[in-house]
Amino acid sequence: MNGPVASALAGSPVLGAKFEAFRSAAHDALGEEFTAQIRHAVAQVHGMGETPPPSNAPPSGNAPAAALAYARRIPFEHTAITDADAAAVIAEIGEARFVAFSVVAALADAECRAQKVDLAGLTA
Amino acid sequence: MSTTPRVSSAIAGEPAHFSSVLAHQPAIAEAFTELYAAFWGSDVLAARIKEVARMRNARVTECGFCRNVRFDKALGQGLGEEIVDDIDWGYETSDKLSDAEKAVLKFTDAVIHDPELLTGDAQAALQRHLSPEQIAELGLGLTLFLALAKALITMGLEPDVMGRTVLPTPAPAEMA
Repeated sequence: MNGPVASALAGSPVLGAKFEAFRSAAHDALGEEFTAQIRHAVAQVHGMGETPPPSNAPPSGNAPAAALAYARRIPFEHTAITDADAAAVIAEIGEARFVAFSVVAALADAECRAQKVDLAGLTA
Repeated sequence: MSTTPRVSSAIAGEPAHFSSVLAHQPAIAEAFTELYAAFWGSDVLAARIKEVARMRNARVTECGFCRNVRFDKALGQGLGEEIVDDIDWGYETSDKLSDAEKAVLKFTDAVIHDPELLTGDAQAALQRHLSPEQIAELGLGLTLFLALAKALITMGLEPDVMGRTVLPTPAPAEMA
């Protein structure tokens, strides 16, 4: 099981499998390295130690700087992101990947928050 | 916060809305639809409780679309507007929300707003009213509500104007 939500759903196999399928679809659409960088950026804002990208490199891989800056605003500033901020990311990665990026970043934030309340521990 | 779509529709002839924009990523759309239907279709945790948490998330994240949608299953379980109106700051003193719903709201605030709100008393109340399996389902719901709200807002898919809209509750497709 990957992450606190999936772990919490260990006793609910149908929902757990469907959550994993959704999470994997989002991550696959963005790509492993890009996803890891976004998740790392979001986790840092939450003050959490997310597993680093597979290469153990700092988040300087294929995610554009604009995307990383945008992702860092998702946890606490999502309503302050501007049209120009979004346009800058779309110009770098295109609309279809921006949709996947939006899902991955928002999901990363939600999973960090589930970790912070120890959702898996509450359901053990 | 923009009400101008930042992403175009991927469906010819349709305006940009959540489904038509998510259609840029069919695998994500399909997996989300199946998951959301399974979540709402499960009766481990009552739809009314799920909707209470969803309404709270809508208020805290400032998701206008989420805030104006009502799912009919929760309405059928007695979640009227006079109760929804109490899902606001100060819900702790409501005489319309049950103790279980207040415990769920406190947990919701801890997840989507500030984890420090999950004090020992708040955790004890949650675990008194909900089983571990119900807490897991609530946690899944909060994850999806929060992610959906933030994705909607950041993709510019908030409505200019929207009245309260009752929708059929997402449900798994009928087995052939």
